[in-house]
Amino acid sequence: MAELTQDQLLWIYDRMRLIREFENRASALFAAGKLPGFVHLYAGEEAIGVGIMANLTDRDFITSTHRGHGHCIAKGVEVNGMMAELYGKATGSCKGKGGSMHIADVDKGMLGANGIVGAGGPLACGPGLMAKVKGTDQVTICFFGDGAAEQGTMHESMNLASIWKLPVVFVCENNGYAESTPVHYHSASKDIADRATAYNMPGFTVNGTDVFAVYEAAHEAVARARRGEGPTLLEAKGFRYFGHFEGDPLSYRTEEEIAKNKSNDPIDQFRRRVIDRELLSAATLDEIDARSKAAIDAAVEFAEASPYPELSELMTDVYVSYR
Amino acid sequence: MSTVGIIANPASGKDIRRLVAHASVFDNNEKINILQRVLLALDAMGVKRVAIMPDYYGLGERAIDGVKLASLRVDVIDSPMTSTEGDSTVAAARLRELGAACIIVLGGDGTNRVVAKGCGSTPIVPISTGTNNVFPVMVEGTVAGMAAGLLALGAVDAENTTYQAKRLEVYIDQELADIALVDLVTSSDLFIGTRAIWDPSHIREIVLAQAVPGRIGLSAVGSCIQAVGAQHDTGMYLEIGTGGTQVLAPLGPGLVTRIAVREHHLMAVGDEVRLKSEAGTIALDGERQIEIYPRQTVSVRLTNNGPRVVDIGRCMAEATRRGVFQRLGAEPIADSR
Amino acid sequence: MTIRNITFREAINAGIRQEMRLDPTVILLGEDVAGGAATFVEEAGEEAWGGVLGVTKGLAREFGRTRVLDTPISESAFIGAAVGAASTGLRPVVELMFVGFLGVCLDQIYNQGGKLRYMFGGKAQVPLVVRTLIGAGFRAAAQHSQCIYSVFTHMPGLKTVVPSTPRNAKGLLAAAIRDNDPVIFFEHIALLDTDGPVEDDDFIIPLGKAEIVKPGKDVTIVAIGRMRHMAMQAAEQLAKDGIDVEVIDPLTLSPLDEDAILSSVKKTHRLVVVDEDTPYCSVAHDIVALAAQQAFGYLDAAPQTVTPPHVSVPFSPPLEDAYIPDAAKIIAAVKATTA
Repeated sequence: MAELTQDQLLWIYDRMRLIREFENRASALFAAGKLPGFVHLYAGEEAIGVGIMANLTDRDFITSTHRGHGHCIAKGVEVNGMMAELYGKATGSCKGKGGSMHIADVDKGMLGANGIVGAGGPLACGPGLMAKVKGTDQVTICFFGDGAAEQGTMHESMNLASIWKLPVVFVCENNGYAESTPVHYHSASKDIADRATAYNMPGFTVNGTDVFAVYEAAHEAVARARRGEGPTLLEAKGFRYFGHFEGDPLSYRTEEEIAKNKSNDPIDQFRRRVIDRELLSAATLDEIDARSKAAIDAAVEFAEASPYPELSELMTDVYVSYR
Repeated sequence: MSTVGIIANPASGKDIRRLVAHASVFDNNEKINILQRVLLALDAMGVKRVAIMPDYYGLGERAIDGVKLASLRVDVIDSPMTSTEGDSTVAAARLRELGAACIIVLGGDGTNRVVAKGCGSTPIVPISTGTNNVFPVMVEGTVAGMAAGLLALGAVDAENTTYQAKRLEVYIDQELADIALVDLVTSSDLFIGTRAIWDPSHIREIVLAQAVPGRIGLSAVGSCIQAVGAQHDTGMYLEIGTGGTQVLAPLGPGLVTRIAVREHHLMAVGDEVRLKSEAGTIALDGERQIEIYPRQTVSVRLTNNGPRVVDIGRCMAEATRRGVFQRLGAEPIADSR
Repeated sequence: MTIRNITFREAINAGIRQEMRLDPTVILLGEDVAGGAATFVEEAGEEAWGGVLGVTKGLAREFGRTRVLDTPISESAFIGAAVGAASTGLRPVVELMFVGFLGVCLDQIYNQGGKLRYMFGGKAQVPLVVRTLIGAGFRAAAQHSQCIYSVFTHMPGLKTVVPSTPRNAKGLLAAAIRDNDPVIFFEHIALLDTDGPVEDDDFIIPLGKAEIVKPGKDVTIVAIGRMRHMAMQAAEQLAKDGIDVEVIDPLTLSPLDEDAILSSVKKTHRLVVVDEDTPYCSVAHDIVALAAQQAFGYLDAAPQTVTPPHVSVPFSPPLEDAYIPDAAKIIAAVKATTA
């Protein structure tokens, strides 16, 4: 395993905690009727986004999914702008024009959450192609869910990335359900990673609740991409605490499963292990907890105090030039 | 007549070494094919009952679904499915309680390790479908099925056709923590992570229950210095580092590399060695399993408490000698026209 | 300045070549655009194909295989890749072989390419050109003969361009490549072998400007793409009957040069729109609506449209010929406005 520095460990915990706070708060705000539209929450999957992003810089790219808040935070998108975006405010990451499903920050290499399941695969080949044409060492991560694994776009893009040897890492976040349909029903191949063989790329499955396993796997896959050796398919198996969307009655999930998920909580696992190994102290971690909570409090305050976009904004940003 | 048990690990042969070491992919559809060939062989031998461990992938159900059997009844038993290695240990114990004559295991060293924790004295028939395959053998499923059938039918003598495997017992602060069948390695890796061990620069100490030349994996560091057979009463301890000898060894698939060995010595069954490594992880049969906390003491004992293992070649040879196949083949040949 | 007579096909090639020489971030990708890896004869310095109709022949030789990329038959993947590349620093020109293949990649064109900028609050731009073949007349039947540029014109965030001559094909394509928004560029298959004068030098024709092909005072004919040539045939005959028509070719459908159309209608008081796309929810009907809403008081007769019927393109030659608008139908429509 590549060595993790103290700073990296702190960063990992900080990001996971901030995602959890953000999502728990988004759930509460939605329930209170404060957020328009609908939201899909990432809580439970923090170790995946954070473990992957610990290997990237701002120059690297990601394409995301409808469950994209965690990817944004791990990629460094500011939570104030994100929260304001959820409210549809002018100060949002996308000036309130995208909402939860389209938060993006191209400067941070975050090419957008996406409302279309499986659409990120083809898009991710784009920055991959750009890096190849321009001869840079930038890497692109394509996040997709187990549901998206059944879209033709994912097959097409993994094949394309492989024949062109693009520096793209395909990360299947397998949380067990495509909306409410379980993976054992919707996938002929129970392990999505098995499909890699057909695309002539390495594929393997990691425990998506263990940030160290995800980090290590991504470290190797990202390094391979940077060396110009082509794409990798990484499947991270985990779970989501919330439903497919807020308001999902979750009637497809058993008590037993919920209990098992809780016992595999990625943040608890991290805490336990770094404290037991005497790498970080409980006091340090508690401090991060408090800071995360304060950051989300501030983000909500910021969002609520922000104005809605001017009505003139309706007609801007459709085109760069109108001729 | 007794039942034949089957444990097939859907997670074997798929770890990160596909990425870092070009390891071969053992996809689950191939495991289903192997299971089907095992079942066809058992059916043809006249075995009446097979019990299979359940798993998330449904290897057992899918194998049954795609194969036409004459009189063999195959059940997927009721056993926990947590998608962790503990499933195989619990299933092995259940199969032992069911009185299985033997348990066919599809997996690598790691799978056999966890089966060994639950199977007691029930012999195992290990078929390689893993990444590290020192303990199991590369064998055609059909033949493995026939050998298992011979044991279930009582057509061969179980004593003569099986051997007692050794095992390495890991004690942490004097408590038995886990076991390994082939190799135990301490690594400087701080976390279990993706489990596999592939970077020789992270290895500190190696303890081996066997070191058979010609096998790849961490036991090759030992076998490239001195051979220790799977059925010999010895094991080996090695400390990695400069100051001693240096070997070129196949540490993994596609990874033939130089490694410096500071010190090494043979161990007799019953010997215990206290490990020097402090912080880091312990890998058992090729996979990091234990994270060592500061101030813990770790020692390893070589014992004869491993599982009984079916020697497929010996099984088939004895059946031939006893005329078993002629007897089983004596019934009229069905007219296929 | 050298002016040469070249074909529409050569003009498209020249437009791409011009922009690829000027800007190293322009790349070309699509099915067989280089020539198919297996048929690329490097020693001979030749490409066998250059696209199914040879439009991009020779570009791989000049710009290399990194900038001219053959793709698998995976329209979603390579058009999506072009969108992603456009939003991260390249200017891809991507070929969708026939517009009828839209059905397998529409999401990447309009949900992604057309919407990224708006969804991201203006923080992205997608300088992408999708070139695609349109048009009936080649006995290619229902899936390889449509126009359906109306579909794309309907979609906010996309620009749509329908060239009609070799010169405007080169100039508009160059402008489309330089444009910072996604442009869908429709090349009519029946125009590929037509020829006309084109400057050798670098030039562009700005998007969003209609061309007055023939000034006239009696009736305005707005004719799109290949229909411009049908309209000109009709105009010649109508002149013999003493009807002086003005022929306008919009060239860009989105954004449409509404001013050019409205000023012509205000001058002639009569409007006929000729469009090879099927009629419902079409550009033709939009132009009629434009005149009705903004020049109603100027109209002396109900505007007419000449379009194919609301059917798919048939295969059988007599049926296909009956499908396509022609000069006779245009003349009848013009006469209906002057009766």
